[in-house]
Amino acid sequence: MHSLYARVNNVSATMSSCLMALLAAIALSTFLFTADPKGDLAITNVKVTAGRDRRYRNKSQDYALVNFNVSADLTPLFNWNTKQLFLYLEAEYENAKGGKNDVVIWDRIVRRKEDAFINVVGKNKYAFKDITNTFKKVPAAHYALKYNVMPYVGALTYGEAGRTLESLEFPAAE
Amino acid sequence: MGNSLKETFEGKIDFVGQKTVDDISRIALIVITVVSFIVGFALQSLSVTFAIFGGSSLVLILLLLPPWPMFNQHPVKWLPVIETKKGQ
Amino acid sequence: MLNFASVITSGLMMWKTLGAITNTASPIVVVLSGSMEPAFYRGDLLFLSNPSAEEAKYGTGDIVVYNVPGAAIPIVHRVLETRETGSKNRAQREQKLLTKGDNNPVDDIDLYNGLQWLERKHVVGVVRGFLPYVGYVTIAMNDFPQLKYALLGGLGLLALIQRE
Repeated sequence: MHSLYARVNNVSATMSSCLMALLAAIALSTFLFTADPKGDLAITNVKVTAGRDRRYRNKSQDYALVNFNVSADLTPLFNWNTKQLFLYLEAEYENAKGGKNDVVIWDRIVRRKEDAFINVVGKNKYAFKDITNTFKKVPAAHYALKYNVMPYVGALTYGEAGRTLESLEFPAAE
Repeated sequence: MGNSLKETFEGKIDFVGQKTVDDISRIALIVITVVSFIVGFALQSLSVTFAIFGGSSLVLILLLLPPWPMFNQHPVKWLPVIETKKGQ
Repeated sequence: MLNFASVITSGLMMWKTLGAITNTASPIVVVLSGSMEPAFYRGDLLFLSNPSAEEAKYGTGDIVVYNVPGAAIPIVHRVLETRETGSKNRAQREQKLLTKGDNNPVDDIDLYNGLQWLERKHVVGVVRGFLPYVGYVTIAMNDFPQLKYALLGGLGLLALIQRE
């Protein structure tokens, strides 16, 4: 004879297999959406100020201040499995030895499709400094607007929505 | 008394009912999964998908798990006890 | 008993194989803190892999799980800065990382226990995939020990009621 416990066991096993298949299908469906939206990125001003290190007050430290305009329509990135968008602006340069430096200077979390039309006139949110404490020997930098699409379930994907055409020099410290 | 409590908890059904429950639950769950995916995808909404999946699974559980009388219409018929004559 | 042992060993084997493929010591982790909200909540399950040293570097925007010496639990945060230093040969260069939680206002330097930068040896893996809620069971067991006993009690009761 078949007891209630045995039926609960059977049905819940089938149900969890089905749920797993459903989640896998949702995760895979993300790859059907191949939107690659592009936006405009303009760096309006780069300034360097001399200051003090925030941890070691006796050490001098140069900080770069960057003003930028960003406008991009990222609504195509929102599909049924998009939980949020992590949008970030980074500076990229190679030091004298050729070592790559990538520094995120601004970011924003976009949680709703209605907010995905980005129009920002802003300046860097995070302290922008070089590992050598000064920008004297740092060559001109490129800036890029990148995004990370974070799903409800499945794989994280990355993309680039904009990039400066020419590199920008760091001026002398003020 | 203790025995009847045990019976309620066990909620037994007969063999025909058991096969019906197994078949219906398997087919229904597959159909539910496929339908919830397609409808959710069409409407581009995960909440629709999980509302359909969760809601219909709940209905399915209520329909199939309790020992409803319809699953108990084929009680096992035991063979009659054969009287053996002792002391032959 | 033998059955139980075989379940445990096959589980361990799968875990180690997955670890070898993805090049990390723990390919699946449970989020334990809320510092990456609203991206990850406590109890979400993360799937990790680690790029091998030669083939690829870590990039900004990557979400890494890292473990600095002296820290009690691994931390899941996003890479804010990457700096290559050292040799002229690209493959031999060391990469220094700075991370930040999406939900934290400042970067993680204070979490590094005196280190200035994070290095490859501290990184457990990069987050590649995501499954919500599933890991919450383990957190619930830790937060509410009564739950563990309730679960054990329930299983015991079931065993008593069972007749077969």
